Amino acid sequence: MTAVMREPLDTTSLRTATGPNLNIERGNHRLRRRIVRIIWGVVLVVLTAIILYPLVWLFVSTFKPSSEFGQNPGLIPNNPTIDNYIKVVDGIAGVPLWRFFANSIFIAVMAVIGTLFSSALAAYAFARIRFKFVGVFFAAMIGTLLLPFHVIIIPQYIIFQRLDLIDTYVPLLIGKFLATEAFFVFLIVQFIRGIPREMDEAARIDGAGHARTFVSIILPLIKPALITSAIFSFIWTWNDFLGPLLYVNSPEKYPLPVALRLYNDTTSTSDYGATVAVSFLALVPILLFFIVFQRFLVDGVATQGLKG
Amino acid sequence: MFTTRKRSVFGGAAIIASAALVLGACASGDNGATPGEPVDPTVEEVTLNFAFWGNDVRAGFYNEALDAFMDEYPNITVNSTFLGFPEFWEARQIEAAGGGLPDVMQFDYSYMRQYSENGLLLDLGPYLGDIIDTSGISDEILSIGVVGGVTTGIATSTNAWGMYTNPILAEQLGVESYPGGGSWDDYNDWINEVSGQLDGHWGGTDWTGRIQNFEIQLRAEGGNLFTEDGQPGFDEARLLEFWQQGEAIRNGGAIPGQRLEEIAPVSGFDAALTLTELTWDNFGAGYLGNLGEPYTSLGLVEPPVHVEGARDLYLKPSMLHTISAGTDHPEAAALLVNFLVNSPEVGSIFGTNRGLPASQTQLAGANLGELDAQIRDYEASIADRLGDAPPVPIVGYGSIEETFRQIGAELGLGTITPEQAVERFFTEMNVILNN
Repeated sequence: MTAVMREPLDTTSLRTATGPNLNIERGNHRLRRRIVRIIWGVVLVVLTAIILYPLVWLFVSTFKPSSEFGQNPGLIPNNPTIDNYIKVVDGIAGVPLWRFFANSIFIAVMAVIGTLFSSALAAYAFARIRFKFVGVFFAAMIGTLLLPFHVIIIPQYIIFQRLDLIDTYVPLLIGKFLATEAFFVFLIVQFIRGIPREMDEAARIDGAGHARTFVSIILPLIKPALITSAIFSFIWTWNDFLGPLLYVNSPEKYPLPVALRLYNDTTSTSDYGATVAVSFLALVPILLFFIVFQRFLVDGVATQGLKG
Repeated sequence: MFTTRKRSVFGGAAIIASAALVLGACASGDNGATPGEPVDPTVEEVTLNFAFWGNDVRAGFYNEALDAFMDEYPNITVNSTFLGFPEFWEARQIEAAGGGLPDVMQFDYSYMRQYSENGLLLDLGPYLGDIIDTSGISDEILSIGVVGGVTTGIATSTNAWGMYTNPILAEQLGVESYPGGGSWDDYNDWINEVSGQLDGHWGGTDWTGRIQNFEIQLRAEGGNLFTEDGQPGFDEARLLEFWQQGEAIRNGGAIPGQRLEEIAPVSGFDAALTLTELTWDNFGAGYLGNLGEPYTSLGLVEPPVHVEGARDLYLKPSMLHTISAGTDHPEAAALLVNFLVNSPEVGSIFGTNRGLPASQTQLAGANLGELDAQIRDYEASIADRLGDAPPVPIVGYGSIEETFRQIGAELGLGTITPEQAVERFFTEMNVILNN
């Protein structure tokens, strides 16, 4: 997006800068290049429009009354209405919609905090401390990445059920605070390994222990990796469906992805209008989150490149 | 020096923490395993978990009904949870494996055999006629919840296979509505004739895509889809014959498969493109909701009959109530099941949301709307065609039904011939049956 928008700006500034004293041959050349660029621009816009069509359709369809689905598969509603939104905000089964949003945000924010805190600590240990069997532990951690979720779900369910933790958020969050997300630990380990050890040594000579080195030296330097982890952790937790489905029973504790399905019951009346409206609303926070943080993400990659 | 000491402190803390976790797990595991002493369910303070599937509307009804129950039995607290149908079963499957099923469940016929045979559902025998009043429920309906001689479920309500028609649309288009009954050939002829007069609307959908139509043909011949021991009650030739009956309308008056794909997930009938659809009679409210204005009423008539005078139709439980075999409070759970199945108050709350109430006492309390009364009258009108319920569906019946529907859709799209369809269906069915 930003790249496309920057393009025309660059060409205009170039043109005005060299404008007054150009000769005809160079002008022709420039003209041709401009036309090629415009064609490319148009092609890209058309492609983007095609790719985004489902999203546009989703948005526009939120203004269709429920009975119009099926009868009018096109983009423009015949009888536009905002009833879907009014209905959706009321929520479901006496639980208002904001409650589902609040639950999702709570879980996602806690997951981000837990993941960053625990993964950074674990990663520091793996990258900098030579404790016994470090290689074995590291390999075991990477090994957990290969385990599909469905393999561990039943034993995990039994553990939490025996601990009487069903219908709380503990099963969803405790793992995040205990650095079980091997992907993030690995990501940060690799990042720390890229930081020169001399910095740690300098700190140690000044009398810093591991805690001090971690907080004052490593933590500020791995900010880009932390931001990347935060973004992915947020998005994955926000979209997680199976976890909350199993561990949360009370409708007033449901996060959005579970609540979303309640609007669409295949065995009786499905409210398609409400389904698309609430789906669209559920997309908004994650879209905002990504737009705000993607700048940091790009920065992060750039700084990482410099360090190399 | 410093680092080593720090490390051992952390290590010690970690060991203590994990030990605490393990011990905690054991301790509460022991508590969980102790069976509850039999006590008077109307006095003892208990908490029950109750799970159902449904939408917003049904959830509202259940909240009301459970409040009424808790008013009547102040010592019992019911926590309810609900999900959509597929998610409901996803959650139950894992709970079943982990031993954490809710005490009382709304249950589906197609899962009865699997859960009963695995011993996950409580034998309701000791409570029938005692805590669970059976005086308002016919033996036919009670027999629906019996698997291998043991009653594990009580039907809340019943459905029958029927044909919905759209008389308002027929009038708009200037054609006659299908009167119901007749032979399958009569119905084919009617579809072809009506569709021939219309442009952009059709008489009906290719009915050979639904396994239930095949089932009632088999029942008319005295068979069933599957026998009690889970073997198919038909061979390749019989299925081929069935799918060939659709040829006349597939390339003629039935709504084209491509058009159906375009409007999915709603059906041609939902979209006011067809005049008739064969389905369960509880689908009426869904149709009305999807049709919207001006289609405010529907017709509900008998499906065509394969052999005149056959007892091919049957009452299917639209849902059942079951109790988990692992419940700590079977008496209280039975009280809840009794209340949900028999209470006239529950009847007045739900109407026919869960289907036509199976219990006469509950039906008496139900305030039937226009459509509800139509369904009740329809189920009464087909009494001559109602036979015994078929055996409880085999494990995997849901997948077989879905395979049948998918192959039917492909027949409609013209991508396979009936011969290829039969071959594919038998291959896939054998895979499911041998699992």
